[in-house]
Amino acid sequence: MFYDLNIPWTPTDPHLPRTLAFLDDLGYSVVALNHTISGKLPAILTSAIPDPPLPPKDLPRNRLEIKRRVTLVLTETYQNARLAELARAYDVLAVRPIDERSFQLACGSLDCDVISLDLTQRLPFFFKFKTLSEAVRSGKKLEICYSQALLGDSTARRNLISNATQLIRASRGRGLLISSEAKTALGCRGPWDVVNLAAVWGLGQERGVEAVSREARSVVVMARMKREGYRGVVDVVFGGEKPAGLVGEEKKNGEGKKGPGKVDVAGNGQKRKADVLGEEGAADGAEKPVSKREAKRRARVARDAAQNDSSIEAAKAGADTEALEKG
Amino acid sequence: MVRLKHRYLLVNILYPDPKISNVRVISKDGEKTPYGLQFRQPSSDQLNIQFLLRTVRNGVAELFGDYGSGKVAASLQIKYFSPATSTAIIRVSRDHYRLVWAALSFCTFLPKPVSQPCVFQVVRVSGTIRKAEEEAIRRARLSIRRAQRAAKDSSIPAAEASAIAGALDEDDEDLDVSMVNGIEDRDQPGDVDEDDEG
Repeated sequence: MFYDLNIPWTPTDPHLPRTLAFLDDLGYSVVALNHTISGKLPAILTSAIPDPPLPPKDLPRNRLEIKRRVTLVLTETYQNARLAELARAYDVLAVRPIDERSFQLACGSLDCDVISLDLTQRLPFFFKFKTLSEAVRSGKKLEICYSQALLGDSTARRNLISNATQLIRASRGRGLLISSEAKTALGCRGPWDVVNLAAVWGLGQERGVEAVSREARSVVVMARMKREGYRGVVDVVFGGEKPAGLVGEEKKNGEGKKGPGKVDVAGNGQKRKADVLGEEGAADGAEKPVSKREAKRRARVARDAAQNDSSIEAAKAGADTEALEKG
Repeated sequence: MVRLKHRYLLVNILYPDPKISNVRVISKDGEKTPYGLQFRQPSSDQLNIQFLLRTVRNGVAELFGDYGSGKVAASLQIKYFSPATSTAIIRVSRDHYRLVWAALSFCTFLPKPVSQPCVFQVVRVSGTIRKAEEEAIRRARLSIRRAQRAAKDSSIPAAEASAIAGALDEDDEDLDVSMVNGIEDRDQPGDVDEDDEG
């Protein structure tokens, strides 16, 4: 599973289907279309990228999965309060700091998934391990976009190599994410080529592989968790509910004979105590399991009834014998 | 005698640009060539081994300067190039194969007289030329299969499509291109290489 989490998206891009097909061909399985917002946030925060982003006939036939991402250019005056609202409209939220203050802010308190710097510029500040480690600890990833180095002029290439090396050194290879930011298919490279590039820049082979696979996956999964999970921590992946088809089948099985129905229940990975007890204890499967207290009470009632019966019997028998004696 | 170790890079040349077509495509009207075929089309006739070697050398010189080209020059060799599948095997010494690989990644354009934008994708790095060859064959078969599948999915008469489908279903399982576990070999002591010196 390889990820490329930055494909720029514009509403009218005739080459997008081709780019996606090319990425699919190169071996990526998840890509994210990126919508960049600079300046003020719009009044109504909805996703600019439709879902699905393209008509199905333009999408690659294979298993390419497409996410939606937004990149917010961080300036001095940003609206922190609406960041969460923005994050809810997209799959991944990235920020692009432009100076040291906003960078520190992004690494520190800001609630985002990806910190994406424009590495083709000469940055006016140095990366400090302290700042970066803070970001990495809270699960934010730092992004390196390689495409501009391939297609741009030599200055862009030089700056990117310089900045990437700095970033790798300062972060000690942790929490990095490598993506393309390719405006055309020509700027994309295969995942292993990217890993090699990172290796030449000083990132170890293993870390490089993680940067296009595991770290990127964690971004996607964590972002989803933040939006859908309970307080961003717990998420119910499979609640044990049965798909509709299976439920119908089970009913049929239950009507036919008990055996297979029971096996199905066990196979669903549910706690099967209730069902099994229900089947064993009472004829009706829908009845609640009997509590201990209730069971005792029933037992007592049954015992009393039995005793009564036997005493009646005894009385009857006694009467009979009396009658016999009398007779 | 310490032997000189090499790496063999199996390289695919892809053509993502829409304007290029090195082959004359005969298609029914309104039918588009599948993307997979467009990317993996045959190379132009002017692209030969000498030209490719010059391109790679220039790429290394551009990215790594005199130092890089000097390091690489002694061992760099194009062992194989097939214009029909746009596949090449490049030999380079083991210590510096990353330089050549990075230079290939940075290459976006084949210079004159070919003058085409292109993408080099390294699909296999191996210590012996034999493994590189095997992988090349496997990939060539796979791309044929993919093209057939694409053709099957598009509008093709039902009888013909079913015939192709039958051929496809035979051994679909071993055709894994993603190579998640890496494309590089570990060195094995038993590996014998025809370029061994000493």
